[in-house]
Amino acid sequence: MTMLTRVLSIFLLLLLVFAPFYWITMSSFKTPPEVIAYPPTLFPQQWTLQNFQKLFASTDYLSYLQNSFFISIVTTLITVTLATLASYAIYRLEFPGGLFIFRLLVGTYVFPSILLLIPLFQVMVQLGLINSLWSLIVANVTFTAPFSVWLMRAFLENVPLELEEAAALDGAGFFEILLRVVVPILRPGIATIAIYTFITVWTEYPFASQFIIDEARRTLPVGLAGIIGQYQIDWGLLAAGGVFMALPVVIMFAFIGRYFVEGLTAGAIK
Amino acid sequence: MFRHRTLLAYALLAPLLIWLFVTIAIPVGYLLYLSFINVGIAGTGGKFVWFDNFINVLGSKRFFQALRNTLFWVVGNGLLQVALAFLVARLLYKRTHLNNFLQLWIILPWVIPGVAAVIIWRWMLNGIGIVNYALEPFTNEPVSFFANPTIAMLTTIFINSWRFFPLLAVIVLAAMRTIPSELREAAFVDGATDKQTWRFIMLPLLQPVLYVMGLLGTLWSANIFDVIWLLTKGGPSGGTTTLPVYIYEEAFSRFKLGNAAAASVLMSLALLVFVILFLRTGWGRELGKKS
Repeated sequence: MTMLTRVLSIFLLLLLVFAPFYWITMSSFKTPPEVIAYPPTLFPQQWTLQNFQKLFASTDYLSYLQNSFFISIVTTLITVTLATLASYAIYRLEFPGGLFIFRLLVGTYVFPSILLLIPLFQVMVQLGLINSLWSLIVANVTFTAPFSVWLMRAFLENVPLELEEAAALDGAGFFEILLRVVVPILRPGIATIAIYTFITVWTEYPFASQFIIDEARRTLPVGLAGIIGQYQIDWGLLAAGGVFMALPVVIMFAFIGRYFVEGLTAGAIK
Repeated sequence: MFRHRTLLAYALLAPLLIWLFVTIAIPVGYLLYLSFINVGIAGTGGKFVWFDNFINVLGSKRFFQALRNTLFWVVGNGLLQVALAFLVARLLYKRTHLNNFLQLWIILPWVIPGVAAVIIWRWMLNGIGIVNYALEPFTNEPVSFFANPTIAMLTTIFINSWRFFPLLAVIVLAAMRTIPSELREAAFVDGATDKQTWRFIMLPLLQPVLYVMGLLGTLWSANIFDVIWLLTKGGPSGGTTTLPVYIYEEAFSRFKLGNAAAASVLMSLALLVFVILFLRTGWGRELGKKS
């Protein structure tokens, strides 16, 4: 690759990935006349916070945020626990039926989540969980756990079996070994599946839009999807909504994204 | 090492298996049941009608339009994303500060909710949007990116690919770095060009990763609902209605739950056939290589 093509390609990549974020952020700080001005201004002539004020006045942003955090955190805790135990059983304790169980888990991908929307709705009705945030937690664990079990495999391979055997010889019980020996070494893997789960739940839309009825219990994507259709198209407000939907995960990603990218690649390529 | 190893294994697996049984096995069984009764609104009952729902679905033009759209959608997304992911991974292959930074941050479109991506692109592709402004010197009038079924489909594929190609790029990049650099260096000594080393060394060695991505990526993209629904509601004139959108519409807008269940069953079967064919041909190729 010549230097010129390289520089040009990097420029195009930056443009493709980051320009949309730049543009939505700038638009969210523009006054209503300026946001629809043509030709568009690359930089707000007059900075304003009125779009954000309107966002907070016309939507229940803080409730949505709280709901999204609640389901994302609880789902992450459950998925990490279940997936760690299950992958330990499958990949570490060689037992009859292990391969079959693994295939069963892989097989769950044949049923895309949208197909489960209708019947799972009925199950939630039966369980009395419709309109409860727990319905989303129950559903999201199902979508994230099988992939997490598979991701964990590569990390488990890095735990030396001798370490566990040594601990067992010293008289440590199973749970002691798991918690004190295995889990600490698995930390990068746990971080990876935790971030994967968190982001998947944070961005989930179809189930959150069907299982929750009350305005106050909506998640961020569903609550803010309302502003797309609800009002006369107010691009300033939409831009502010887009920015505030992306912001929490972008901040989070700035701190822990590194572990995710490293871990995902370690897990994905084995 | 542990006594009662099998018992322990099942004890550890039990929570997840029970969870998946309740949320997948029971619903799938229920889906099968629903596909045989004439039920309208979710939560109501109906009577057993044998294969009527399947006949309804297979007799409707909308279902076959959705099937065609799904094929177009999956192939379009697959080609665009794999091509972009491979090119970007190749671009960022060398370990420099800039490349390490980009490897982390290009994944940004994937971490934001689809709803946010929809807002961003609807705003940019608007008649008075920045994209039309940039295209002004080349076009007579603003381009309507969602006006005609084909253009709407291509636009939607582009936006969805924008969200997912970075994740694939990062995975391909990681796979590329596991390939020993000596292989390319040896080829350079033998007089190969840069392009040739990528075409004849790296690409073939990346096949296993591209293969897994092809399988998972197809299942994932066949399943996409939110971006399409929020961008186009499946329109114009059904041009972007893929099977998930069709199923959603039947169930929650047209209140024909039985038909939606039958269509879901048909889609699961189609995906199952795809997975089996994919594994068969893929395994064949892998085995052929080893012998």
